[in-house]
This record gives sequence, structure tokens and C-alpha cells, in this order.
Amino acid sequence: MKKRSKDGLLIAPLYVFTLLFVAAPLLYMLALSFMQRAEVWGVEAAFSLDSYRKILQPVYRDTFVESVKLAFTTTFLTLLVGYPFGYFMARLPAKRKSLVMLLVVIPFWTNALMRMYGWMILFRSNGLAEQALLRFGLIEDSLKLLYNYKAVLAGMVYALLPFMVLAVYSSAEKMDWSLVEAAKDLGAKNWQAFATVTLKLTLPGILSGVILVFIPSMGLFFIADILGGGKIMLVGNLIRDQLMSTRDWPFAAALSVVLMAFTMLFIWTYRKITHSDELEGLL
Amino acid sequence: MRRKQLAWMLAAAMVLSLLSGCGGSKEKELNIYTWEDYIPDNVVAEFEEATGIRINYTNFETNEQMLSVLENADGGDYDLILASDYIIDIAIKEGLVGKLDKEKIPNLANIDPLYQGFFYDQNDEYTVPYAPGIPLIVYDPSRVTTEITGYESLWDPSLEDSVGIMDTERVITGIALKIMGESFNTENADTIRQAGKMLLDLAPNVRVLSNDQTQDYLLSGDVSVAFLFTSQVVLALQGNPDLKVVYPKEGLGFGCDALFVPANAPHADNAYQFLNYILQGEVGADISTQVWYLCPNKAAYEYLPEDFQESLVISTEEIPEGEFIMNVGAEALAVHDEVYTAFKAALD
Repeated sequence: MKKRSKDGLLIAPLYVFTLLFVAAPLLYMLALSFMQRAEVWGVEAAFSLDSYRKILQPVYRDTFVESVKLAFTTTFLTLLVGYPFGYFMARLPAKRKSLVMLLVVIPFWTNALMRMYGWMILFRSNGLAEQALLRFGLIEDSLKLLYNYKAVLAGMVYALLPFMVLAVYSSAEKMDWSLVEAAKDLGAKNWQAFATVTLKLTLPGILSGVILVFIPSMGLFFIADILGGGKIMLVGNLIRDQLMSTRDWPFAAALSVVLMAFTMLFIWTYRKITHSDELEGLL
Repeated sequence: MRRKQLAWMLAAAMVLSLLSGCGGSKEKELNIYTWEDYIPDNVVAEFEEATGIRINYTNFETNEQMLSVLENADGGDYDLILASDYIIDIAIKEGLVGKLDKEKIPNLANIDPLYQGFFYDQNDEYTVPYAPGIPLIVYDPSRVTTEITGYESLWDPSLEDSVGIMDTERVITGIALKIMGESFNTENADTIRQAGKMLLDLAPNVRVLSNDQTQDYLLSGDVSVAFLFTSQVVLALQGNPDLKVVYPKEGLGFGCDALFVPANAPHADNAYQFLNYILQGEVGADISTQVWYLCPNKAAYEYLPEDFQESLVISTEEIPEGEFIMNVGAEALAVHDEVYTAFKAALD
């Protein structure tokens, strides 16, 4: 008994930290979302549902819908590329495996923002890519590769692909391959063994990858800003603008609350399906 | 056992780190808060050398960010802030700005009266003008076939996917209002909605929305027409002298970034000393030739290089024509936001 109270004391700083820096700001945000903006600056502490009602206005609702669409497309594309990637990575011999792992992780050593600026230098009009294509006579005029929806989508997939790869990899790695062999011994064809055994056993990895990709892609506003030329409006951009230029803080808070509700819904679904507490691929 | 000791030590370290940072204040300090690179490095260094006061230069990205930080600090923490006209207007009304102690700034007399008495500080009690300017249209004649005469020209179908504008809500809804012959500051919701409708037709022409690098997009060829702040106009012309500048026929905008001392500035006297320092003629000229806005310091005029006015494009004569973007009521602002969000949603 005595031992236990001592241990409790040891983790007390962690509790304090969590309460102070996680719970308190979230509660503040929740409270803020039910307040009203003041005439010129700041907020009035009067209860109101206006901010939530405002989200339903077509203009703002569409921003949510567009964000969800982009997030879905991003997730689908990362899954399409990331699943085979992670799957085959897990099947590599140990030495090669660590090399590929290193290659997947290396981009993380550079801040994503920097990498996006790198893209700008490469792909802008008269940038390195276009100059090369022009020189070889493959194009005649600017391709206008950047500052549109496709560029944002490509940037999102690029930035988030490693999360999917690592999630799939980690569940494929843990898989007991003798089960696949057993399925084949019992007469299953390759695709049957894959569909009934492999796919099921890597499902936690897939779902975890989906969450790890879907949720950030709703809010990665700097990618939309840089590669979309400030023209693609995601929920993340909207929250930033409400906070930093329109100064409607309760509305920004309400948007964040709804975004978080989305996130929690996803994680709850994940736990229901996989009966697991932790996301695959996050150690 | 070892591990437990380590855990105790870490726990202690965490608690200690919470307590630190409550040091005493030093007197020979000046905390300046503004955008990155807005006060030239050499001016900062020379002031430090002349006075022995150490300057801490902190940056914000938007005016709104500055004001919320200042509000949380209850008008303290910073000694001198350089920000835009409309936000200073709010800051003064919120009681976050201190009145200048004019006796400590004798060089206030050097300010050109042309840049005084603006809406945010009609009696010149709170602010020192730093960077007044007029946003203009700049285009590359080799890539544009239509004649550019004003804001309306940006709507020309031949400019599809080749216009760069600033991502500033009130400025962009404002140019549509100007085309309609209205004021930037109308509070009529229907008028603002109508402007918003016009903006939807501008959407296909917009290639880039950006506040801080629009001139680069023009120089790289990403856009062929851009609507730029004064300093950006100068930088664009320095990069490519063949670019053409247009004074929009529908009417000019005007803005002024100014300096103020927060109400509870910890080292207000040092701020006054700095203000007095930069209001000297020679220093003022040095600043204006680096930040590329109109020079609000009449003692500096004799030190300005001859071609300064020419490089700057705009001149003092246009100021009376320029209209400030002022604060409008919450209701009008909400409509501005709604139509601007719709405009951004229509962009691709």
C-alpha cells in the first residue's frame, strides 16, 4: 500500500502536465465555442449556439464537406500505394528491410514545411522540372503544375504516405505467415489466402493507417496554402483564418470542437472494430 | 532502485522547470514586437551601440496575432509595437496603448503632418507613423494582351488563371466594392453581398492568393498580373524594370503601419528613446530606403537619394485620394467573412 502511494507521487507531474496543458486548453476551447464574439474585438461571455449554427451555413458547411472529400481521396490514394508497400516491405530479408525503413523515415528528418517549399522550387512555373522538360522539348508552355487542387492532393499523399506504410508494415510484420501457408495447404489459391487470412490479419494496420492519414489531412493547412496557392480552403485553413484574421474566436473554437468530435468518432470506431487500445504503427 | 532514483530526479526537474523563468527585469532592454525584417538590422545594431540598450526583436505574422498576445499580456511585456492602422484603432479602444510622453521624443516634430491625424489617432497622442503606402496593380506587358486600367481589368477573361492577389479579406472584398463605386467601409450587408457575387466571377482568374510573396510569383512568371502592397511593388520593379504599374481608376486604398508604446510597457522610456532615435533625419532616410514605403519623416527628405521617389512609384500627392480600410461592425464583418469564404471556396 505504501509503495503504491509513492509511485502515485512519481507520476503526479505527468498528471499535472496533462491537466494543465491538455485538459485545460480543451475545456477552454469548449467553453469558448459556446460564447459570442464581441462587437469589435474579443469575446463576450454570454451563452450562445450561434457558432454551431454558423457551421451549418452553406458556405462553411461546404468547407467541411470539401475537407472530408479531400481527406477521403488522400486516404484512398495512400492506401492504394501504402498497403502493397508496407506488405512487401515486411516480407523483405532483414537487412533490406532496415534499409527500406531508413528510406521511408529519412524525409521526416526535414520539416514537412521545408519539403513543401522544396516542391515549390521544383515544380513552379519555370522551375527546375519545367526547365528540364522544356530543354528536352517535351513541353512548349508552362504546365501550371502548382497552385491547384491536384497539387494539394499530391502533396498530402506525399506527406502522409509514410504513416500508412509504417502502420501496414507493423501489422504485416507481426503476422504469422504460417497461417497463410496453412491456408494454401488446405487448398486456398493465392488470392483466397490473401483475402481470408492476410487481409484480415493486417486489418488493424490498415485501419490505423487510415486514421493516421485521414485525421491530419483534414487539418494540414500549410500544404493547402503552399501548394494550393492559398486557394484551397480546408477546415484547418478556415479555423486559422477565423482565429488570425476574422477574429471570430467562438466560431474557430466551434469548428475545432466539431473537428475533434470527428476524430474521436473515428478512433472509437477503430477500437470497436479492432478491440485494440493502441494504434498500429505508433510504436 | 536506480531507475526509481532517476524517476525522482526527473520529477524534481520537471517541477523546478515550472518555477524557473520568474527572473527580475533588466533596465537596459527594449522589447520590440513586429513583423519579421520590418526594422532594418543595421538600425537596431546602431541604436544598441549608441545607447547600450539591448533590443529583443520578436515577430508576429498577423496583426490579430499581435493584438491577442498584447491582450493576454494586459498591455505589458512589450515596449514598442509596430502594426497596421486598423488594429491600432482597436488596441487604443481596448485601452492597450499608452499615450506618448512627447517631452521625451523631441524629434516628433520631424513627422510630416501629412501623415498625422489619421482615423486611429486623430489627435496624434498614441502613434508614430512608420510605413504609409498605397497598394497598386503591377503587370508584365509581355504576358498580358488586355489593357489594364483598374481593379475591373483583373476580371478580364484573357487573364484566366494568371492573377495574383493578396489574401486579405477586407482588401479583396474592398476592390469589388470600389468597382461598384462604394466605400471600402460600407456597412450595408446587401452591398457587401453584391460585391461578394462579383468576386465569384474573379475566381477563375486567380492563380495565387498570398500576402507576403506575391511579387515573387510575378517575377517567376507564375502570374502575369498582381495586386501588391507598396514595398512589394518596388521589389517587383527592382527584379524586373519592364513591369508596368497601374493606379486603379476606381480609386486607391491607403494604409499606414505605425509604432506605439503599450499601456503597461515595462521599459517605456527606452521605447521613447528608440522613437526619438529613428525620427532623426538620417536614420529615417536609412529606414525608408530599406523598407520601401513613403517616408513620413520630413527631416529625412534631404537625406533620401534622388531616385528614391522614382523607385517608390507612389508619391505624397496620391494620399488624399486613398481611402483607409477601417473597422466595421460585427454584423458587416460577418458578411465580409461569409462572402470571402465563398470566394475562396470558388477558387481552384
